[in-house]
Amino acid sequence: MRSETFLKISVGAFVAAFFAYLFGPLIIMSLTAFNSSQFPRVTPWECFSVEWFDVLINDAKLMNGLRNSLVIGFGVILIAVPMGMAGALMLTQVGHRVRPWYYTIVISPILVPGVVLGISTLIFWDRMGRMFNAGYDSIFYDGIFLTILGQATFISAYAMLVFIARLQRFDPAQEEAALDLGATHVQTFRKILLPFMKPAIGSAAVLAFLASFENYNTTVFTILSSETLTTVLASKVRYGINPSISALAVIIVSLTLVGAVVYEILKRREQRAEREFELVARGKLERRRKQVPLFLDPSMIVALLVFIAGTGTVYFAGTIGLEECKAAVLSEKRAKTERAIKERQAKEMFRQAAPTTPDPYAPAAGAAPKVEAKGTEGYKSIFDPGNLQGQVEGELPPEQQKEIEAKGTEGYKSIFDPGNLKGQVGTEEKKP
Amino acid sequence: MTTWLANFYQRNGTALSIFLLLSVLFWVFILIILPQLFMMDFSFRHNLTPAEIGGAKDVYTLENYKYMLYGSAQAAGDYNTVDLTVFARTLIAAIFVTLFDLAICYPIAFYLAHSAYGGAARLMVLSLIVPFWVNEILRAFAFRIMFGASGVINDFLIWVGILDQPYDFIRNDIALYAGLGYAFILLMIFPIYNTVESLDRNQIEAARDLGSPWWRIHWRVVIPYAKPGITSGCTMVFMLTAGALAAPQILGGPSSLWFTQIIYQWFNTGNNWPQGSAYAIILLATCIAFVLIMMKVFKVKLGEIAR
Repeated sequence: MRSETFLKISVGAFVAAFFAYLFGPLIIMSLTAFNSSQFPRVTPWECFSVEWFDVLINDAKLMNGLRNSLVIGFGVILIAVPMGMAGALMLTQVGHRVRPWYYTIVISPILVPGVVLGISTLIFWDRMGRMFNAGYDSIFYDGIFLTILGQATFISAYAMLVFIARLQRFDPAQEEAALDLGATHVQTFRKILLPFMKPAIGSAAVLAFLASFENYNTTVFTILSSETLTTVLASKVRYGINPSISALAVIIVSLTLVGAVVYEILKRREQRAEREFELVARGKLERRRKQVPLFLDPSMIVALLVFIAGTGTVYFAGTIGLEECKAAVLSEKRAKTERAIKERQAKEMFRQAAPTTPDPYAPAAGAAPKVEAKGTEGYKSIFDPGNLQGQVEGELPPEQQKEIEAKGTEGYKSIFDPGNLKGQVGTEEKKP
Repeated sequence: MTTWLANFYQRNGTALSIFLLLSVLFWVFILIILPQLFMMDFSFRHNLTPAEIGGAKDVYTLENYKYMLYGSAQAAGDYNTVDLTVFARTLIAAIFVTLFDLAICYPIAFYLAHSAYGGAARLMVLSLIVPFWVNEILRAFAFRIMFGASGVINDFLIWVGILDQPYDFIRNDIALYAGLGYAFILLMIFPIYNTVESLDRNQIEAARDLGSPWWRIHWRVVIPYAKPGITSGCTMVFMLTAGALAAPQILGGPSSLWFTQIIYQWFNTGNNWPQGSAYAIILLATCIAFVLIMMKVFKVKLGEIAR
């Protein structure tokens, strides 16, 4: 008996640890969005602030990327959903000998690495452009167009899987009955099959949009000189980070949570309706109660109120008294820095030797070779391209980073921010 | 073929036939097959300027594949150790990430399928999905915050007294492996969950009644039954890990590269598309080989893997 309780406890501990692994990173990232510290972190906590959301909204590059992502998302829905449906319908009609081949081909984009899909799309349309002698401003070199096609390649396969699952429950006799009764093929499709597929169309569209919105591997190759939200985010995260990215994460996490809650409410309503339907069928209920519209559903109203109250509280807590708090933290930091400087001066007088503490200018110097290397393409093949990477993409060694963070004077900090160099480097990085 | 087309036309009518045929042909040829063939073709060419294309220099070559093996002609040493090491390291790391995911996901999938009931189970499934819809970049960013020099984990370990100065998790790639493992948990759990769920509980009861300890029940009853799900999950996680680009770019240590990053460099900074295509083909071939091996060894069909 005792070993059973022991097993139960260890299973419980395992499940708890698993969910901590699942949510811990997201929770900590979300918390950093509300810390006024220039660097995204939870400790030491400075001031509760919502200013990073302002920084986020005023970030023109991110907002532009967001706009492109939305355009691409809707473009992908328009292409991938009909194509996935056509693919699923075709699967029911091809001969049994072609079927495995056909299925292997259309399912393969799910298994092929996203990087490969992006590259092949890029090369194919580049070659097409060459063939038609099109200029760089033509559609063959339009990043958004290419990205829609590249993403649609595998998202159509996702959509197709959704439709296949739905089609498995379809009774072809319905179609035959309609045809026997004199309906045309188009009518049968529109009146019988399409209504049956409607829920699947909805979920395929949502799936397609989400998959497109968060895709990086394919997009980064096909987007060319444009930018989507994910590519902007990736370059931001690689070249120096600040909590406005956490603020974006908070928004996305809460939207996902809202989506999950709405989904749960919808599911419950569906179940309730089904239960009532059964009761009516068994004669225990006279007729089904009318369902209130979704936005009047009590659980929906509660969820909405909680959401509004939560956002409001966070907003006021993050704005009131923020300036005083920041001033206090700043002066405290100044005092600390002064103390540190005095200590160091005392030490140096004592030692009279060259300082062994790391030089805060080091990061700027470390990034310089990259800029230089860009200009000298000819030399490049001597070195492996991998050699350059460490210098720019790597994090600063912890001592240097600490040194920078320890500086109380906010104004200085951006000087050492490796992200600064991005302006110079980034422009050259993209292809035409 | 013609009779099939006639039947097809008869069955669907003009408008629907045209829609189905055009969409499927566009998808299969323009989006899937032709781009892959063009990439293959491109990988056997020299890196030429636009003016040279179609000229005398535009001939097929194996140079790009040789480079992967031997490096450039000027370089010292027999083999291109840098790229080959990265390639091997990527595959080995991907295998370990896959095993790690399997080890943590199998118990959870089993627990979800056979021990959790009703609302609790539904809540757990929902909470598994939520992190998955958060952007890949943001998930990697979260790990970077956690594992940074002044991140929560270092602060905690110092506060507890295990460390006296921050440990560089990023340089030592621990953040990378944790982030990669995290990114594809869901793709491991759901296939296993789907198969384990359909296992008849009576089989477990019978094994228990016959005196089997819990670990042998899993080894002899549950795991053989869940094999298609486990294979599917492992294949997906391996492929996605080996083909991951965002997490290595954000979480990778400065001295370590992922194979996809090398491909990315050939396209962006290296400006040598044919070379990049050759590397992409190598990655693709490796992945296809992996899927085929998994299908052969574990005797599952492709349809069972991609679900």
